[in-house]
Parts: sequence; C-alpha cells; structure tokens
Amino acid sequence: MNNPYSNRAWWLLLPSLALMGFVAVIPLMAVLNYSFHDVFTVNDAYWIGLEWYAEIIRDPSFWASFGRSALFSAIALGVQVPLGIWLALLLLKMSRFAVPVLMLVALPLVVPWNMIAGMWLTLINPEIGLAGKAMTALGITFDYKFNALHTWLLIVLADTWHWIGLVVILSYAGLSAIPEPYRQAAAIDGASRFAVFRHIELPRISGALSIVILLRFVDSFMIYTEAFSINAGGPQDATSFLSLELAADIGSYTYGRAAARAMLNVLIVLTVAWAFVRIRSSERVR
Amino acid sequence: MSIRGVTLRIVVFSLLAIFILLPFAQTVLLSVTLTLPRDGYETGSLTLLNFIEVFKRPDLRASIGNSLTYVSLNIVLCLAAGLPAAYAFARYRFTGDRHMLFALLAFRLTPPVVLSLPVFFLFAHFGLINNPVGIALVHCAFNLPIAIWILESFISAVPREYDETCFIDGHSTPSFFFRRLIPAIAPGIGVTVFFCFIFSWVEVVLARILTVTAGKPITMAINALYGFQTDIGLVMAMTVVSLIPGLAMIWFVRNHIARGFVIRT
Repeated sequence: MNNPYSNRAWWLLLPSLALMGFVAVIPLMAVLNYSFHDVFTVNDAYWIGLEWYAEIIRDPSFWASFGRSALFSAIALGVQVPLGIWLALLLLKMSRFAVPVLMLVALPLVVPWNMIAGMWLTLINPEIGLAGKAMTALGITFDYKFNALHTWLLIVLADTWHWIGLVVILSYAGLSAIPEPYRQAAAIDGASRFAVFRHIELPRISGALSIVILLRFVDSFMIYTEAFSINAGGPQDATSFLSLELAADIGSYTYGRAAARAMLNVLIVLTVAWAFVRIRSSERVR
Repeated sequence: MSIRGVTLRIVVFSLLAIFILLPFAQTVLLSVTLTLPRDGYETGSLTLLNFIEVFKRPDLRASIGNSLTYVSLNIVLCLAAGLPAAYAFARYRFTGDRHMLFALLAFRLTPPVVLSLPVFFLFAHFGLINNPVGIALVHCAFNLPIAIWILESFISAVPREYDETCFIDGHSTPSFFFRRLIPAIAPGIGVTVFFCFIFSWVEVVLARILTVTAGKPITMAINALYGFQTDIGLVMAMTVVSLIPGLAMIWFVRNHIARGFVIRT
C-alpha cells in the first residue's frame, strides 16, 4: 500500500477516540485504580497497593479456574475453527447454496445470549424436550446437573452451536474474495487440494481468520452467560470459569478484589492477543 | 464434482441443518403450546395464547421497544464514528496507526464483565442509568472496533482514484462521504450493521447492570419470566419474538455476507 503519510488523519479518528475514551478507557482506568484499594464505598477506599493481586495469585482456586478457562478455550477453538473452515471450503464449491447455508449458520448468532442456555436446557429436558424424550426412549441418561463431563459437553455443544456461524461466515467471506485464477494456476501446476489450501487460500484469509480466532478466544476464555445459566459453575466448581469467579466477587461487593481479578483477566487476554499478533506479523515478514 | 463429493456435501450440510435447527424447532414448538393451565384450556394444547400474552403485557412490550431503541442508536453511533476512522486507516499512514489498530483490538477483547462496575458508577454520574442511550454508548466499546475493521476493508477495496475523481468533480468532504463513498461501500455498511446488531441485541451483562428499575431490555424481560412456576410456553414465545428483528437483519444482508471481504489486522 502506498498511502500518503499525513498526521491530519488523526482528526478523522477524533469521534472514535472520544467515544472509546468515555466508554472504555476511563472505565478501565477506574478498574485499575480500584484494584489497588480496599473499597468500602466509592468514597471510602484505602490504598493497599498490590495486596489483592498477591492474595489472588496465591489462591489455588484462581489457578484452577484459569486452567478450566484455558481448557474450555482450547476445546472451543479446536472444534470450531477447523470445522468452520472446512464447512466454508465445502461451501465454496457449491456457491449456488452459499446464501441459504450462510443464513442458516447465522441464525444462532441473533439469539439473546441468556436464551442459548434456555433453549438447550429445554431441548434436553426429559419431560418436554425433543432430544430429552429421544434420549429417554433410547435409555441414555444425560445428567448435566451432577455429571461434570455432561455439563462440559453441553456447554461446548451450546457454544459451538452459537458461534460456528461466525467462523463459517468470516472464513467464507475471506475465501470467496480470492480470485479464481489463483486456484486455476495452482491446479495447472499440479498442486494437491491441501497444498492449494496451505499456500494460496490460508495466507489470503489469515486476516479474517485472526479476527475469528481472537474473538473466539476471548469470548470462550471469558465465557459467562451460557456457563452460568446452564449450571452456575457446578457440579462442584467443575465449570467455574474465570468470569464466574469475577461475577461472584462483584456480587459480594468486594469491589477491590473484583477489580484486581478483572485486571488480571484483562492482562491474560491481552498478553495472548499481543503474542498472537507478534507471531503473525513476524510470519508475514518471513 | 464426483458422486462421492456430492454425497459428502449433502450429508454434511443436512447434519448441519439438523444441528442448527433442532433448538429452534423446540422453541417454536413450545411457544405454540400451552404449558400452564389457563381458564378453559388444557395444558399441552396448541394455541397462540402465549403470543397474545406477550403483546398484552406492558412490561414485555416495553422491553421490545427498549431493545430496538438502544440497538438502533448503537448502530448509528458506530457508523458515525467508525466511517471517518475507517477512512483514515484505509487511505493514510500516520504516526501510531499500527498501535491504534492494536489498541482497538485490545478494547474489543476486554471482557464486558470487567467494565461493568466502573461503567455503572460513571454512567450514574451522567444520568445514563435506566436509559437506552447508556446501553447504546457502552456497547460501542466492543462494536466500534468491529465497525472500523469491516468498513476499513471495504473502503480499501475502492481504488484511491475514485476519491480523487470525486474531489476533482468539486465534491466537498461531507458531500463526498454521503453522496459518493457511502453508496460505493453500501454492502460494507450492511455487513457492519449486521455485526453491530448481533453483538448488541444479544448482550446481557452490561445491559443488565445499566437497567436497574426501568428501560429493561428484552433479555432481562425474558429472565424475569423465570420464577417459581415458570410458564415455559410464554418464555419461548417471547424468545421467538426476540428472534424476529435478527431474522430480518439476516435477510437484508444475505447477499452481502456471501460476496466476500477481507479483514486486515
């Protein structure tokens, strides 16, 4: 790109900067400030430095929920990203059906988040749910309340149902922007299907794909609404993720500790995002 | 395509359709089923009473209006602030542009739960609690970065010469934006509106914390229906109603999301 260099472009960013300053930067600074205080009320707070951070880091239950969140994120990304790309690749060959299929996978994206759990729990309810009745008839017991594996399975299933559309839509958008001659040239050179994907398609959709991976990473790592509505962290904390612990702190009015916990979460997420962006840009240079 | 390839595709997409549609089928089915006894009707019978109930209850009706108000407002804000910013990123290089892109990414990745507490105090100070304007503003924290990325990719796809020709033709900057640029990237605007909509309409955490006594969004109205004896049919009817604007949105952008765009990081 040979765009002209002009710092007057900053004027065009002014509305965005003002808006982000008010709704994101100021609140984030306020969280940072609370995290160094023991907060009784907003006007009655004592500076305690890094004590909250020390307390949280020494607490084994923090590391346990960190592990659970990381595992959930790994499963969600590991299932949804390859599946979504594969579906988008299949769809590319049958462009006549692309629009209806994209509309289909977009459906779960417009469901209010608190109802995702509501819909799935109703579906597997043994008395009124279609899947629940079917499982009872087949003699399968699915006990998401007390069997940790089943709770995990349900959350992964609901999350995949919810978000697979985002991966398919953005991958398809990237893939269909690749001019057809690129693929034809590769085919003439005798490249295998995998080689075409690896060397032609993947680099051209890597921008869209990084957005998908980062969005899916943060939303799964910080999963709250679905996990809370399905089993509120149970059974016995087996699905107690980082955001559920944070919400519990906010709910019990320990604002200082909640703020420190929130800052730790932000730091983890941003470190991963930063590393990801660095790795990607160093690959591009090579 | 070989016969095997065709069969594979039919099987894969049929399974996908079943997987996606099953929870919706369940929801629609229950929404037309009477699940709590009402005078003169037996539970389990097929009925439209649940939907009539949704539109009879003032709290449910109001919540639909509230949600539509803040989502529309959020979309307008994101486009108004996002378009000039996207234009700057697409057309110029300037000191700190890469850092700004990463800062936007960082704020999109900040979990809403983290911001909920200070946002409440800050917005209470400005009288933005129980007010759709408050929710519309706070949703910009994660929607504005998305809007800028998507608009940037569409503006970059328009050749520079297009802008230059317009300016030579005597367009002023505002006239160029409204009469030339926006029509040229109309599909991009549609895609942006769609993504702002799907993240704002469905968001729960911030919308809940900013509505204490009034201005409840549709998501909270559904939550309030759960109780000691939940009328699950009514809950599902309300869910179906909450899906209608989303379905309309998908219908409007269906051709644009399939056409292809590339987001650059």
